[in-house]
Amino acid sequence: MDKGISIKGLVKDYPGHRKGERGQRVLNGLDLSIADNEFVCILGPSGCGKSTLLNTLSGLDNDYSGEVRFGGQPVGRNGKPPVKMGYLFQDPRLLPWLTAEHNVDFVLENSDVPKSRWAEIKNHYFSLTGLEAFRDHYPHELSGGMAQRLSLVRALSIEPDVLFMDEPFSGLDELTARRMRVDLLDIWSRTGKTILFITHNSYEATFLADRVVVLSQGNIREEIPVEVPRPRHYDDPALFEISKQVSANFIAAAEEAERARLQPQAG
Amino acid sequence: MFVKVGSIIAAILAWFGLSFLFPETILPGPFQTAMVLADNFANGDVFQHLFATLWRVMGGLALAMAIGIPVGVLMGVNRFAEKTLDIWVMVALTVPSLCYAIFAFIWIGLNETAAIVAIGLTSAPSIAINLWEGVKNIDTRLFKMAKVFNASRWVIIRRVLFPQVLPYIMASLRFGLGIVWKITVLVELLGRPDGVGFELFYWYQLANMQQVLAWTLLFTIVMLFIELVILQNMERKLFSWRPKVKI
Repeated sequence: MDKGISIKGLVKDYPGHRKGERGQRVLNGLDLSIADNEFVCILGPSGCGKSTLLNTLSGLDNDYSGEVRFGGQPVGRNGKPPVKMGYLFQDPRLLPWLTAEHNVDFVLENSDVPKSRWAEIKNHYFSLTGLEAFRDHYPHELSGGMAQRLSLVRALSIEPDVLFMDEPFSGLDELTARRMRVDLLDIWSRTGKTILFITHNSYEATFLADRVVVLSQGNIREEIPVEVPRPRHYDDPALFEISKQVSANFIAAAEEAERARLQPQAG
Repeated sequence: MFVKVGSIIAAILAWFGLSFLFPETILPGPFQTAMVLADNFANGDVFQHLFATLWRVMGGLALAMAIGIPVGVLMGVNRFAEKTLDIWVMVALTVPSLCYAIFAFIWIGLNETAAIVAIGLTSAPSIAINLWEGVKNIDTRLFKMAKVFNASRWVIIRRVLFPQVLPYIMASLRFGLGIVWKITVLVELLGRPDGVGFELFYWYQLANMQQVLAWTLLFTIVMLFIELVILQNMERKLFSWRPKVKI
């Protein structure tokens, strides 16, 4: 089954908060195609529409115009993707009153994964992420890195076709984040998923992605393909070269955003 | 635990010391009070009065929770409900408990129903406010998480909202109990022929401080038992997932 995503002319406006205040256009006719099994990183300064993009794609927000298709199929009336979706937030967002394992059960219960397969799936991902010994622990007993790994287990356990990741490693220390990136690529290469990954970190984006998309003011500023063979090495100079290009675009996008903020809007 | 026992012993000693400074009719000592209490148990109807009061406390608390919880939760989750109801909750909180008791006895009659209605209505606003504040603190980001993982509205209410509200329900149960039993005693002295409140008022009219103290002591011990032994253990079991707070 094709699990690619195609986005055409996506427009999203936020109304002004106060009376008389002008609303804000966060996504401005965005076109983007993500191929089946492709790993795409979205990079951009605050307010460029990154999180809004994920909200609209995941169906959390279906008040937008434009067209979103998953594997050629349109989204349902409730805005939910017609494919299975996993989601990683910036924070782990675990249910604090459930143990690690029951947190995973919670999403399995709401999925179409047959109960006969739960044990096998959980064993697989708990051991893959090194959390085997922590199944009975409550979230507050886990370190930040372990909690985020658990939320990765949770997202993978429902065997999603697409995986949305909203700066999932930005709250972790660099060493833990590095290990998680390597693990993520490893899991992705084995299971095959379409991944849309949002980040602030140009090197992270370059290391992970097949293609880095830099957003600026609700549209695509630049698309940078990362044609470095996998498995990749963290210190590969070729990656570093590409990440410089990504960085330059990111900085330019941030400057554009700054200028737009200072200038009174026309029309 | 040792600190608690120590402070109780210290308080009894202080009471013992103070009782020497006053005549027996004003402040009887702990031993005298205990003797009167034992006497009451031996040849009185202590249990009848105690159970009458406990029954009213439970009934009143149940009614207060039944009104207070839905109102509080509704105010916490819905802006419109908050705006329309907050002034009325404040009004209901301000009306003195004596007024509720008088209204209930005059409108409903001098009976058990009126007593429980008076107790329930008096304490409902405090419980509503407690829940309202609590529900405002719940983590709405978890709803978003449940939503992207396909949880239905009912699942979200039951498995994500309810566990977050439960600690506030338990807190308001304990807090409600503290208010309810004070009101119960007042309602009893006003319009019931039995109960701890009735007994207190009866001995007050006879200026018998020994009996007044004995009844106060008995009721305080019973309520502390419910609070410290039953409710705290219940809470500990329900919320064992919570991190232990270390200071």
